[in-house]
Amino acid sequence: MEIIKNFLFSFLSTVGFNIIFSAPKGLVLKSGFVGGIGWIVLYSTSIYFNSSIISTFFAALTVGILGELFSRHYKKPATVFIIPGIIPLVPGAGMYYTMLALVEKDFLAAADKGTETLFIAAAISIGLIVSTTLSRSIKRVKYKR
Amino acid sequence: MNYYDNYDRQEAKKLLLLAILAGRTMLKNGAETYRAEDTVERICKSRKNIKYADAFVTPTGIFASLEYKGEILTYLMRIKSTRIDLNKINLVNEFSRNFVNSNMPISKGIKKLKELNKTTTYNAPLKTFFGGVACAFLSLLFGGSILDFISSFIVGFFVVLSVNKINKYKMTFFINNSVGSALASILAILLTKIGLGQNMDTIIIASIMPLVPGVAITNAMRDTISGDFVSGLSRGMEAIFSALAIAFGVGLILNIYFKGMI
Repeated sequence: MEIIKNFLFSFLSTVGFNIIFSAPKGLVLKSGFVGGIGWIVLYSTSIYFNSSIISTFFAALTVGILGELFSRHYKKPATVFIIPGIIPLVPGAGMYYTMLALVEKDFLAAADKGTETLFIAAAISIGLIVSTTLSRSIKRVKYKR
Repeated sequence: MNYYDNYDRQEAKKLLLLAILAGRTMLKNGAETYRAEDTVERICKSRKNIKYADAFVTPTGIFASLEYKGEILTYLMRIKSTRIDLNKINLVNEFSRNFVNSNMPISKGIKKLKELNKTTTYNAPLKTFFGGVACAFLSLLFGGSILDFISSFIVGFFVVLSVNKINKYKMTFFINNSVGSALASILAILLTKIGLGQNMDTIIIASIMPLVPGVAITNAMRDTISGDFVSGLSRGMEAIFSALAIAFGVGLILNIYFKGMI
């Protein structure tokens, strides 16, 4: 039940971001789906691993792979799916709490939150790197044959 | 040099212009560097008599040159503002595929590209409304209540509206992001004061999300792994400074709030 609720919310917010980024008309719901699945992976792996960094990595990996698959299937650039899909994962909350701690002159908490935010951003990047590299090497192997 | 030769040379020049225009449209709307480079090269090489074509793309400018009958033609184009428009990337992608695979006249191609540059997928009010919707559902996702949902919608709506308004005056992204995040914090504080919002933190976090540099982070990484280190660095810088701008806006307002002035 909780998962369905999470999927619905992240799906709808990704659809909103699709409109802000003026995604192609036919693809709004499809890349909303990518964002929803990405968030579900984040949600369920964060319960399992109890670490937001690892779970963000898996979520970004999922978004990347789904984006590449969809781009192959619908013959559109992968960016169209990946950019909106990644938005719910971006550590806006971490940025805010870091700033809050700095304003309250709690530098220990700021360093704690700040590093976590930085690592979450790195995890998103690494997830995307892995998925893009995978898809490119698969393409190369196919091309050689 | 007879008449036909001269004519062909003009065509080669036009082809380079077309290619670089296509690359520029892609880059201006948030495509990755390698995609823009690839498009420029493909378009150049699609016509006969062109032996060598290469492009060097950075987020702030495009350089491209091609060799036509032993002569090298070069073109440079500067890119100043970038905004995200995924549909245009998609349309240029389709256009370049069509152009390469068909025998489309070059002047017709330039005309099509210019038309394509003017298209708008969604009008501004719809975009602003969905900006509010996106923020509202994000607040639920981050554990907000139904009251937070409503106030995030209001705050997100005004943030997207004001950022779009500022965008028209061609300010730098730093002003844009810090004003947007400051506005988000002020509105969130006010709405919590009058009792419409319950969790101020959640509302602020959800409504700064449209400003957060997710695209810059994504593209910086995708550029770096494709070996475009200059573009990767420059987009990484963009990401870091957008984040700083947002933090500055929020921090300023929170500081004032904690001093008890609001």
